[in-house]
Amino acid sequence: MSRDVILSALRAAQAASPITVPAPPARPLSQPVDAEAWDRLRAVLEPLDVHLRLARTPEEAAHFVADIARERGAKSYLRWESMPANVDVDAALSGLNRVFPESAVDGRPCPKLGQVDLGITGAHAALVDSGSIVAVAGPDTPRAASLLPAVHLCLLPRAALLPDVSALPGILNSHRDANGNLPSCLNLISGPSSTADIELVLVRGAHGPVAVEIIGLDWDE
Amino acid sequence: MRKMTRDFRANAEEACQDAPLRGILDHATRYFQGKRAAALSAFPGRDDHFARARAARLNALSRLPQLLEELEKNATAAGVHVHWASNGAEASSIVCDIARENGVRVVVKGKSMITEEIELNTALQQAGAEVWETDLGEFIVQLAGESPSHIIAPAIHKSRAQVADLFREKLGLVAEGKSDDIPELTRLARVALREKFLAADMGVTGVNMAVAETGSVILVENEGNIRMSTTCPPVHVAVMSIEKVVATLEDAADVLRALPRSATGQRMSSYVSVFTGPRKQGESDGARQMHLVILDNGRSKVLADPVLAEALLCFRCGACLNSCPVYQTIGGHAYGWIYSGPIGALLGSLLLPPEETRDTPYGCTLCGACAKTCPLGIDHPKMLLALRQRSAADKGNIFGTMHSFLARHPLAYRASVAVAGAVDPQLNLLPRLPGFAGAARFAQSRRLPELKKPFSARLRARQKIRADQGFHAEKENEK
Repeated sequence: MSRDVILSALRAAQAASPITVPAPPARPLSQPVDAEAWDRLRAVLEPLDVHLRLARTPEEAAHFVADIARERGAKSYLRWESMPANVDVDAALSGLNRVFPESAVDGRPCPKLGQVDLGITGAHAALVDSGSIVAVAGPDTPRAASLLPAVHLCLLPRAALLPDVSALPGILNSHRDANGNLPSCLNLISGPSSTADIELVLVRGAHGPVAVEIIGLDWDE
Repeated sequence: MRKMTRDFRANAEEACQDAPLRGILDHATRYFQGKRAAALSAFPGRDDHFARARAARLNALSRLPQLLEELEKNATAAGVHVHWASNGAEASSIVCDIARENGVRVVVKGKSMITEEIELNTALQQAGAEVWETDLGEFIVQLAGESPSHIIAPAIHKSRAQVADLFREKLGLVAEGKSDDIPELTRLARVALREKFLAADMGVTGVNMAVAETGSVILVENEGNIRMSTTCPPVHVAVMSIEKVVATLEDAADVLRALPRSATGQRMSSYVSVFTGPRKQGESDGARQMHLVILDNGRSKVLADPVLAEALLCFRCGACLNSCPVYQTIGGHAYGWIYSGPIGALLGSLLLPPEETRDTPYGCTLCGACAKTCPLGIDHPKMLLALRQRSAADKGNIFGTMHSFLARHPLAYRASVAVAGAVDPQLNLLPRLPGFAGAARFAQSRRLPELKKPFSARLRARQKIRADQGFHAEKENEK
């Protein structure tokens, strides 16, 4: 009922006072992803308190994973099922308890995962301009991994680097399923959760992760 | 919140006397302006990016009914339940019905101006649900039983000590160590609300953008509370006003270039989430059921107005508030409704009944700082001026008619001034005459001119005195 009332009011408004849209200027060119992209990404991440480590080999990446878990005092971790190839995260974290999303209580995934120390994900893309990790939700890539644990650790392959948010439509379209449907959820993650709601004092660690760590996988796949 | 727009004039005058409030507003508006300026100075092609964001929003308004139908079709295809509501009460009852059907007891909410606008919390509470605002600022404001005072930072009017008191009194939470340490207060809120997220049966959010071509809903935030509200509870209800739609993902990307930079000076907010339907088979988290409520609440009327329609371009970055000398002086609460500052004066006037917002368009010095600041090119002063003209044209009063006559007839003007000058030189009596209520209000807030003598006569008299004094002085020197 209201649907028709609203739509007919809008059509009448449109007829009575049509709005013309002048052609906008061309979108300024994106800065291409080149040899300096890691450095630019690091410079954007630094003010967000995000530490970027560059690994030249899968072994080095695994070492970094173990280092970060130790530095953060992590006892448990949760990770995406599908992770960048070759990095043996489970071996690197052999002393830690791996928690699985399947162990959820009465269909709710979150209660148990809320206690996990470390959430480890890959990245479907990253936007150099804004320091954003792109995470596309799916059966093997749960949303909770980058949200509920206190620390989010992201393994970011070099091939995932893209210039800026103008890449968003392309990223979404490249993740359509067999029926052509878009993924249920895509997150751009730019630094840890934060707030400045009390006296405008910035605090890292609001409701999501308190810290984000990124390991750049700087080799050809 | 209870609408107090009728009391705008009195509220504003009271706020002008509030020195602590002024200190807070000075700090807050400078903070946001500083962040924004720094971000924009490091933003190559800024003007072109802003122009593209404006074009994306304008394009949406130009095709609003078509895009909403397309949005409905594509969101439905993605598995979203789409609802339409003409007004706030209808939208609230739709959300309450969804809560009832799903046996919802605990609701967690992301920050959203639209659910404030329709007073959804009250409706949900009356329906028996426990409702938690989860944005830290909104949470503080909710605990205090107040309303937000800034679009971006709802609780900027609260000090850390007040927040510590609230947490202790309302939640029994006492900080470890120094009691008013801000990170510690934030941690307390995180712990208290984490519990609610995990227990919640339904998450309610607003919508920053809905994409017609894909049926997607886009949400922008920093705290992660919106991600929590859409990841943990089994039901997600997103409420949008009709103008939040954009045509394409390309348009959405153009808007995302401008919004965070203009709002908080960030290159991108901590989290931007694009939802296209509920969780799919095999996924272990995310809402199983997703609803989208499309609300008009007076906006279709605004779209029909060729002068005022552009108010609907606004994407709520809050930059106009921080640039506005009136907002900087009186803050958000004086406006009497959830929307404040230049855009608030506009939206209040456009969306609320005219008799409740008679003074709202006058909360503007016409300095134009907001129009210069707005990344979408909204000309707030032009529209507020148009609203003033309309409200003045609606009701002629005898005072105005008389003045208009006198202004056009110089002889009559001089005669009447002479009479008034003889009878009531200080214009003390004028406001008290019957039928001059408008003049009384005018007179109370201004110092009226004296009518004793025309300026030219006073100048001549003064020159004569000077000349006489000069004459005496010369005499003195001669002595």
